Amino acid sequence: MRQRLRDPITGLLFVLPMLVLFLIFRIFPTLGAAGMSLTNWNIGGEWSFVGADNYTRLVNDPNFWSSLQATLIYTVIYVPLVMAVSLCTALLLNSIVFMRGLFRGILFLPYVTSFVFAGLIWRWIYEFDGLLNGMLAKLDLGPVGFMERAELVLPALAVVSCWKGFGYSMLILLAGLKAIPGSYLEAARVDGAGPWQRFRSITLPLLKPAIFFVLVIETISSFQVFDTIYVMTGGGPAKASYTLIYGIFERGFRFWEFGYAATWGMVLFAIVLVVSLIQRRFVGKENT
Amino acid sequence: MTLTATRPAAVRERQAARPRRHGRRWPLYTLLAIMSLLTLGPFAAMVIVALSPRNAPTVPAQWPDSLTLDNIAQVLSASGFAEWTLNSLIYSGVSVVIILLTASMAGYAFAKKRFPGRDAMLWTFLATMMVPFQATLIPLYVLISDLDGVDTFWGLIVPTLANSQAVFLMRQFILGLPDELFDAAKVDGASELRVYWTIVVPLTKPILATLGVFVFLWHWNDFLWPLVISQSDATRTLTVGLTVLKTEEMQWSLLMSSAAVSAVPCLVVFFLLQRYLVNSIAMTGLK
Repeated sequence: MRQRLRDPITGLLFVLPMLVLFLIFRIFPTLGAAGMSLTNWNIGGEWSFVGADNYTRLVNDPNFWSSLQATLIYTVIYVPLVMAVSLCTALLLNSIVFMRGLFRGILFLPYVTSFVFAGLIWRWIYEFDGLLNGMLAKLDLGPVGFMERAELVLPALAVVSCWKGFGYSMLILLAGLKAIPGSYLEAARVDGAGPWQRFRSITLPLLKPAIFFVLVIETISSFQVFDTIYVMTGGGPAKASYTLIYGIFERGFRFWEFGYAATWGMVLFAIVLVVSLIQRRFVGKENT
Repeated sequence: MTLTATRPAAVRERQAARPRRHGRRWPLYTLLAIMSLLTLGPFAAMVIVALSPRNAPTVPAQWPDSLTLDNIAQVLSASGFAEWTLNSLIYSGVSVVIILLTASMAGYAFAKKRFPGRDAMLWTFLATMMVPFQATLIPLYVLISDLDGVDTFWGLIVPTLANSQAVFLMRQFILGLPDELFDAAKVDGASELRVYWTIVVPLTKPILATLGVFVFLWHWNDFLWPLVISQSDATRTLTVGLTVLKTEEMQWSLLMSSAAVSAVPCLVVFFLLQRYLVNSIAMTGLK
């Protein structure tokens, strides 16, 4: 069968370069993050063990709670938005044949750009004298401070991330749709099932694994939002867009409190871990 | 991320079974056209602003009286911009070469070799995918800083080379290659390095190309790590440079020109390899 090539030395030698990179730059920092979160490490590299002090401080830190809140609000807006857009566009693309490649290409285009790029363009679109307010002015609607109003900034940022990233999820869902045997849908049609009924009782259940996969990766990516915030709002206004990663960045590289910043990082780690574990559990059930 | 796979046979079946029905498709096309306009609108707006004379009224959504390449020319000759572009090319290019090499070697060993600790290693690689990069940002920065790697190319590049997704992709692909190929080479007395170079590399070319394109895009568009490591023009990448431009006194026409120029390599890659990129995402769930 497989694995007949027994040769412990060459196997190890071939893995070695990547293994070394991994140990030093993935494993070690991961353990280091946990360790540092228990110290008061600062920019000078001086540190002492402070036990759970950082965690106590975190729990009592209004900045932390507001950043967690901002991150959760952002997630609650972004994930349904990107799911709806990517599912709708995938369904549309799956229903046409003529010019499908062209539309698929256009819709996927922003995905290859950077979040910094997206942030710059959209910053201009959201400006007081930018594109969107220019269009609103034509409709006699007053200028809206998308980046200046606390209640608008997270939805506005979610739109930017959605614009930039939905193409990827769209492709995953499109692949899932293509994998549904046409004969199922044809049989349902013959039995007199309407489009909505076919979608509900055939497409949706069969697409569930793809939908769940997309749901998980988009949720995780929404907890990691940073580039657009750095470019567009700087965490403002009044910390309305001050998310977890922004907190890690600012604690670390503006206040140089490495120990405490690592503590924020552990929270992010915990959240992503829980989401990943839920995914594993769900996918496991799907397979059995 | 988890790797998902499509079933090509099912795809063909679906396409064969689809009845060719004409008409009544126009609402779908209208919706797609609207979505496409929303997707392309920001690009178009950027290009118009980039090509407008400075201080020309381009808003509300108005064509400028004349178009000019002045902004682009000024951006290209602006101090720093060429250097940042070169730095981005180095960051992306070097990373692509090293990741392709190390990941294909590791993928080959994980797929076709037996050695002590193999499964534990593989499991560990898999597990690290669940650790968000940002959670390890601080210790990674301290590590690089202690090694005097801040504002150096090696400090920028080396930590980003530990890419578990690349290893898994290579492993999955190489698992599918028949063992007989490797046995035959062994019987012929080929050395391991020769087997790698004359069998593994040529046969994995399609996946190496795909991975190469993605690694290039990831690095070209990367921001947080370059932001903390590149602190001067000597190593600053384009994404970081753009945010520096933004904080300086800068007109939107110049900023949009810079943004447009910075995206050119990605757009070129996209237009050349669109079908290829799209299919590989569908097949592998590559992010």
